[in-house]
Amino acid sequence: MAQLIGGLGASHVPSIGAALDKGLRETPDWKPFFDGTVPGRAWCEANRPDVAVVIFNDHGNAFFLDKVPTFAIGCAEEYRPIDEGWGPRAIPVFAGHAAFGWHLVDRLVESHFDPMIVQEIEVDHGLQVPMELFFGRPETAWPVKIVPIFVNVIQYPIPLPARCYQLGRALRQAIDSFDSDERFVVIGTGGLSHQLQGSRAGFTNAEADRAFLADIAADPDRLAAMSREDYVRLFGSEGAELMMWLVMRGAMDREVEVRHTHYHLPASMTGAGMIVLENRAA
Amino acid sequence: MDPDRIPDTPLFDRARQRRGYNLNKMAMGLGTPANRDAFRADESAYLNRFGLSPEEKRAVMARDWREMVRLGGNVFYLLKISAIDPVRMTEIGAHQAGMDHETFLRERLGKR
Repeated sequence: MAQLIGGLGASHVPSIGAALDKGLRETPDWKPFFDGTVPGRAWCEANRPDVAVVIFNDHGNAFFLDKVPTFAIGCAEEYRPIDEGWGPRAIPVFAGHAAFGWHLVDRLVESHFDPMIVQEIEVDHGLQVPMELFFGRPETAWPVKIVPIFVNVIQYPIPLPARCYQLGRALRQAIDSFDSDERFVVIGTGGLSHQLQGSRAGFTNAEADRAFLADIAADPDRLAAMSREDYVRLFGSEGAELMMWLVMRGAMDREVEVRHTHYHLPASMTGAGMIVLENRAA
Repeated sequence: MDPDRIPDTPLFDRARQRRGYNLNKMAMGLGTPANRDAFRADESAYLNRFGLSPEEKRAVMARDWREMVRLGGNVFYLLKISAIDPVRMTEIGAHQAGMDHETFLRERLGKR
C-alpha cells in the first residue's frame, strides 16, 4: 500500500514566486526567508516522495464566484500554471495523479465528504510557490506527481477549521488504502498571518504565528477547535487560510516529530513559515 | 458567523460578494491577454462591458483601492489591475490603511 512519509507546511505568498522570477533570492529582504527554507527542500531530496497532495486555495484565477466549491479534488493528468494577469509563469507543467485523485474522491464520499471533482483546471501561486520551496525550480519536470485539493477560504461561508482537520483524516485513510508502493507527502499551504483588505490591512501577528507553528505539531486539537472568527482575529482576514494546514495535520499520526520549522516576518505583507513533520516511529 | 465583528476587517460575505459581483468579474477578466489589451486600449469601454455603475467605474479609474473594496471588490480579483498598471501589494495595503507607503511599511510591517 502507499505510504505517507511526511507532512509539510509552507506559505504561498505570490511575492515569493515573484522574488524567484526576478532573481532576488540573495537580496537582504529575501535571503533570510529563503535560507530558512533550505532544510525543507533538503528533506524532500533526501526522502524522495513520489506524490504530493497539495492543499491550497485558488485566488480568483481558476474559480470565479459563479461556481465556488468548498472542497474540490484534482483528478487530472496535468495542471498548467495559470495566467494571473502577467502571463503564466515559466515553470514546468505539473503532472497529476488522476488514479489517486479518483480513489481519494471515492474514499471521501464514503467518509461523508462530498467534494467537487475537477478534471481540467490550471493552478495559481497557491500551489506553485510551496512546490518551488520544497522541490526547487526544475528545468523540465517536477520530481513528484501532484494531487491538488482546492479549499474555499475566500467566499463566506468558508469551512470550519475542524472540518479541514477531519478532511485530513479521511485523506490519510485514502493514502493508506491506495494499492501502490508510492511514497506520499501532504503539503498544507497558506498563511501565516496577513490581512490585505480593509483599514486593518498590514496586520500581522508574530506571536500567534509562532504559537501556530508549535501547536500544529504538538496540539493540533487546539487549532482545530478554534472558530473561523478566531482565525480571522488572530491571523487576519486572509491569514484565516492557515486552517488549510489542518488538512495536512489531520493526515498525520497524533504523535509527530518536527524535522524543521522556519518563520520570517514579513514576506511582502505576510508572516511566512515552513514546517516539516514525520510520523513518530512506532 | 457575523463577518464584521472584527474591526476594520471586511469579510467577503454574501452581501459583499453580491454587491461586488460585476466589479470582480471585470477584474477576473483581466486574466486573459485579449481583455488586458482591451482594458489598455479603452478602459472606460472595457468597464462598460461588465455593467459597472458610475461609482464603480470612478473607483477603478482612480485606482481607489479602498473604495473598490468598499464596493464589494475583493483584492484577489482586483490585483489583476495591478498587472496592467503596476502597483505593489504594500501600496494597496497602505492606501486602505490610510497611510503613506513608508509609514505603512514601518508601522504595520516593521520595516526600517
